[in-house]
Amino acid sequence: MLGVLVVVAVVAPLVLHDAATGLSGDANSGSTGAHPLGTDGLGRDMLARTLVATRQTLIAATLSTALAAVLGIGLGVATWLAPRRVREVGLRLIEFWVSYPTLLVAIIVAAVLGQGLGPAVVAIGIANAGGFARLTANLVAGLAAREYVVTARLMGVPPGRIAVRHLIPNMAEPQLILVAQAFAGALVELSGLSFIGLGAQSPAFDWGALLNEGASKIYTNPVLIVGPSVALVFASLAALFVGDGLAAAANPRTNTSRSRLVRRADAAAEPLEADVLLAVDHLTVRHDASGRDLVSDVSLRIRRGEILGIVGESGSGKSVTASVVSKLLAEGLTATAARVELSGADLLGRVPGPELARRVAMVYQDPGTALNPALTLGNQLTDVLTSTLGSSRRDARENLVGHFRDVLLTDPEGRMRQYPHQLSGGMKQRAMIASAMSTRAELLVADEPTTALDVTVQREVLGLIKRMNTTAGTSVLFISHDLGVVRALCDRVLVMKDGRIVETIDDVAHMTTEAVRHPYTRQLLAATPVVHTSRPEVEGADR
Amino acid sequence: MNSSVDASIAPSGPGAPGGPPSAASREPRASSLAGAWRRFLVRRLVGLVVNLALLVVVTFVIVRLIPGDPAAAIAGEDASQSQVDAVRVELGLDEPLPEQFLHYVVGVLHGDFGTSFHYQMPALDLVRAAAPYTITIAFASLVVFLVLGLAIGAAVGIITRGDRHRWLDHLFNVGAGLVASVPAYVQATLLIAVFAVWLAWLPPAYSPAYGLGESAVLPVAALSLGCIASVARITRREVAVVLEQDYMRSARGWRLPSLRLYAKHMMPNVLTTALTLSGIILTALLGSALIVEAVFAWPGLGTTTVQAIAQFKDYPVIRAAVFVIGAISLLFTLVIDIVLGILDPRTLGDSRG
Repeated sequence: MLGVLVVVAVVAPLVLHDAATGLSGDANSGSTGAHPLGTDGLGRDMLARTLVATRQTLIAATLSTALAAVLGIGLGVATWLAPRRVREVGLRLIEFWVSYPTLLVAIIVAAVLGQGLGPAVVAIGIANAGGFARLTANLVAGLAAREYVVTARLMGVPPGRIAVRHLIPNMAEPQLILVAQAFAGALVELSGLSFIGLGAQSPAFDWGALLNEGASKIYTNPVLIVGPSVALVFASLAALFVGDGLAAAANPRTNTSRSRLVRRADAAAEPLEADVLLAVDHLTVRHDASGRDLVSDVSLRIRRGEILGIVGESGSGKSVTASVVSKLLAEGLTATAARVELSGADLLGRVPGPELARRVAMVYQDPGTALNPALTLGNQLTDVLTSTLGSSRRDARENLVGHFRDVLLTDPEGRMRQYPHQLSGGMKQRAMIASAMSTRAELLVADEPTTALDVTVQREVLGLIKRMNTTAGTSVLFISHDLGVVRALCDRVLVMKDGRIVETIDDVAHMTTEAVRHPYTRQLLAATPVVHTSRPEVEGADR
Repeated sequence: MNSSVDASIAPSGPGAPGGPPSAASREPRASSLAGAWRRFLVRRLVGLVVNLALLVVVTFVIVRLIPGDPAAAIAGEDASQSQVDAVRVELGLDEPLPEQFLHYVVGVLHGDFGTSFHYQMPALDLVRAAAPYTITIAFASLVVFLVLGLAIGAAVGIITRGDRHRWLDHLFNVGAGLVASVPAYVQATLLIAVFAVWLAWLPPAYSPAYGLGESAVLPVAALSLGCIASVARITRREVAVVLEQDYMRSARGWRLPSLRLYAKHMMPNVLTTALTLSGIILTALLGSALIVEAVFAWPGLGTTTVQAIAQFKDYPVIRAAVFVIGAISLLFTLVIDIVLGILDPRTLGDSRG
């Protein structure tokens, strides 16, 4: 689209110069065959004038953008080169400069320089230079700390030379994006100045001046505004697409689709054994876009009161498996299974929200991001009780405070009024566990709940999960990459690799390199520091 | 571990005013928030004073920087020597530079920007009479663009989450992009063409005959349309980001009803970013107000300034108007930051301003 503008700018004045400035004797004409967009007060054809004005408008915008870029980048670099005091003042002034509307700055400059296209170009240039100066100052601040710049400085290379050799070339990309934006801005801002009579003065004309002319006769001859309006809208669109195109090139969009749960055709409907809480049969999860299987043919059982561990490296499919169980499968994934059942509730079908919320609780890897930063703990963690499970606000608060006390959070009432950022990572994770306890869930899905925590805090959190299991009888699906942690907590362990279960360990207490069969499990075991302590010690950690 | 957390709750940093110790020990959280507010307000008020001082300097140099002899340039080419001298005396250009500046600053502190050349009345009175008109349409536009922009952006963001309804996504991108990028004065002209000339529903320009409300509809529409589109675009993008966050997964894990999920858990996080950017949009809005006012002959600061520059070279009025527009823009930004601070106390710590 910018190309079209440039072509028009070059060709139109050559071809249409006479039509644009010649007097046709047909003044103030409406839309006719000879003058589709009408004629102005002197009988000049508006279509021709609009097209011819393209050159004027584009040249002015180019000049003022060039001025803005040179001035702004120069100032930005100069600020960096200046002594410390001057630099601070300079940065402050740049902030002041850009904190006011571009057009206000431009109008001030126009007030100093007077009316006319030349002053308008300078005015817009100076107004936009602030943006370049700030961008440059920011970029330089980042670059100046880079090793090669520091090295060059230590080697005594003069600052001016560093700026030219090292700084300016490395700022090219963001500066180019700003140039495109500033150019688009200059186009409409210049026309804006002309529109209010501060830019192009008759007999010179650009789109803004033409639009002003048309607007003044909007009752007698409304067709006059069509030409300059279309031109300005066209130019704005061109600018938009340039900006969007550059942005899109910087971060390409991925195509994803909704997550889907599919029941395998050969699903058998044999009832579950009474003591089984969760059953997964032949689960496969496919990434739609790549067609890759993240989980292949995984089957598992969790009995009531049991802690099942899934261990494996990142990308082994353990978290995806957990997300199927908790019915939070990510977008773009399709899960196929013969059965995913939570004793009586078919998780492949629709399950009422309250039932799910009551029966399944979740604790995630990073307590820092799993809590909503904009809401207090009490406010967000009681939501599941009040909003989904229908408790009164008071009951919910009492319930949660009680569990805050269970997980040994100091000042439980006070914590309710705190925001997540006021707590340490370990405290946040304990609050999450308290929330999981508050619904008296049958199944806790814990996805790497200790990975983001310090070792001492890890032990406390493991102790809390164990206690939830022993006192409330909650079954746990415990996901971890750390065999040591899993071994300390779980009754049974599944080892996953590349989306498959490669080993099932029923006797965790006697798990040794000799007892396990799969080489990958041996590797994992060998990589785990031998800790000759086992579950009793962990249970002791919550005391 | 407890001690480190408590330390982060208590007011910290050498500049923290601390507060009365008894209150601090009883209500540690309240006092930390109050401390954050106090630091925020002190910092912002200092910033406000510095910025106002810079505005004084800028309005002072507007006249000094006119190339050649400012007095001659202002008086115009046909002016007699005595007229030029009168301008020189009125603007104080006959004094040495430091005294000029001193007199100017003292004048500004007393609300005296000089006497309008054209209207022969105090410049500040003229500007003061115009300011409410600008504040009215700017504030109305602010409310309109925030409410509609956030609502449209959030709705589109939620409907198109995870690439649902891709047609709406495309439609929104093109539509909002178009409205956001077409300059306000072009929209103003087109609005007049449609609603004043063609449909004849609304007055094309300010006229006391129509009443303020009716006259203001088109200017407010012209000013806010582009901003609505910009805010909606920002909001829509932000919604997409927030919906991907872990805490939204937590909220989905609690199986909250949709309204609660989006209104309570999503919106506050969207608002922070959207409002921060709205501050920038608001400055741009004040800029386009200067031009849009001219289109509608709206008797506000923009029309006053443009007339003072283009027709009368009325520098005392220009000085007063620029100062007041700058001050309004500072106040609006401060108000937005205070609202942000109420919604999300974390933003109080930002070093902006």
